[in-house]
Amino acid sequence: MRTRLFSVVAGVALAVSAAAVPAIAHHSFAAEFDAKKPVKLRGTVTKMEWINPHSWIHIDVKTPDGKVEKWMVEGGAPNALLRRGWNRNSLLPGTEILVEGFQAKDGALRANGRDITFPDGKKLFVGSSGIGAPDERSDDKPLK
Amino acid sequence: MRSRLLTVAGLAMALGLITAAPGAAQGPTPPKAPATVQRTPWGDPDIQGVWSFDSEAGVPFERPQALGTKAAVAESELEEFLEEREAERAERAPTLGGITGAGPTHWFEDWGQKSNRTSLVIDPADGRVPALTPEAQARQRAGGQGGGGTFGNGPFNSFSDFTNWDRCITRGKPNVMFPTIYNNNTRITQGPGYVAITYEMIHETDIVPVDGRAHLPENLRQWLGNARGHWEGDTLVIETTNFTDRTNYRGATSTLKVIERYTPVPGKGLRYEMTVDDPKTFTRKWTAALNLTPSVDMFEYACHEGNYAIKNVLSGARAAEKAQGAAR
Repeated sequence: MRTRLFSVVAGVALAVSAAAVPAIAHHSFAAEFDAKKPVKLRGTVTKMEWINPHSWIHIDVKTPDGKVEKWMVEGGAPNALLRRGWNRNSLLPGTEILVEGFQAKDGALRANGRDITFPDGKKLFVGSSGIGAPDERSDDKPLK
Repeated sequence: MRSRLLTVAGLAMALGLITAAPGAAQGPTPPKAPATVQRTPWGDPDIQGVWSFDSEAGVPFERPQALGTKAAVAESELEEFLEEREAERAERAPTLGGITGAGPTHWFEDWGQKSNRTSLVIDPADGRVPALTPEAQARQRAGGQGGGGTFGNGPFNSFSDFTNWDRCITRGKPNVMFPTIYNNNTRITQGPGYVAITYEMIHETDIVPVDGRAHLPENLRQWLGNARGHWEGDTLVIETTNFTDRTNYRGATSTLKVIERYTPVPGKGLRYEMTVDDPKTFTRKWTAALNLTPSVDMFEYACHEGNYAIKNVLSGARAAEKAQGAAR
């Protein structure tokens, strides 16, 4: 078993870094989206806005009564997406995707996304408007 | 501009949708740092180029107290030290990311870096920012809980309730030079009598005269402060004053004075040192340092134009008020 040489150290570092949270993202999730309004959207991409400070994915979502709702999903900054391997072909119009996220506080058809799932189960991380924390979920199974 | 950005990125990056392995660099290889100090045609040291501060992104700003005055970890301990640092970061991450989190660790440009340094603060010897003066503590108490922007608790009644960073104005000097989640690059351009420093995050440019002129009068205040530079040997020294009352750097506001030093390190890159001199805020001067490495070109970051969040947060706050009103 490895000794945890630096664990005390890291514990202190943790407290310091937590206090410095505002320094690591452009803006926070909490002020814009409602953690009490989780949404699961299956839709078709109509447009991707490659804009800073956060990208926006536009999707058409069919409701059970046959209507089409136009949703906007907030993703990561283009600069960060590009450096992580996204490109203009990553999410073309017409692509069917499943997005899990949280709806806007004002109730509009906007959500933040974190990852999206393609029909074959492949996932694409969209960066969200989160603050730079690694994955908190362990499930990597395709979403139903 | 946008299409050019995408073309460059498209050429530079693999087409696959699956993101890279942790810590893997993508895109073109950065240039090598010159083996000797270069000169501009007019004779100044040449420190031009795009510089990255990603390589020290995992280093905490302040040193954990248990490490005392140990500024760097020995080679024999390094692997274990880094392993534990990353494990602790991964462990605490879920509590930082809010309910949606922000993705897998390979997402972060600062992940997997190998610096042996224990803090970015190098003076005082304990690697920690000195205590605030009683005056600064009183100022903070009087300021209350507001001012946190989207990371605070509101209220959100106007654009002025957001931080300068939320508003795409600036992260503020000297924050602009310290690592964050992405956009950790700085471009330095020189002309006779001037040095221009562009920060990739927010994309603001600090135009620094190096011709010996005086600072602006005290009544003229600027978001990035007012910078004046000069050369000491091969080192560019920049003194910045005239910050605004909306400046908030670790408790310092308009009385903040920042002295930055950029020194070419042949074969490696640039050494950046930043001293904070503000006796009204800190009980002593202190200094933090970064080792910058050559980087590939920066991306544009037109932040304000697409900053829908400001409107969205304000309309969210109005909706919350309405809901509260209806509940009463």
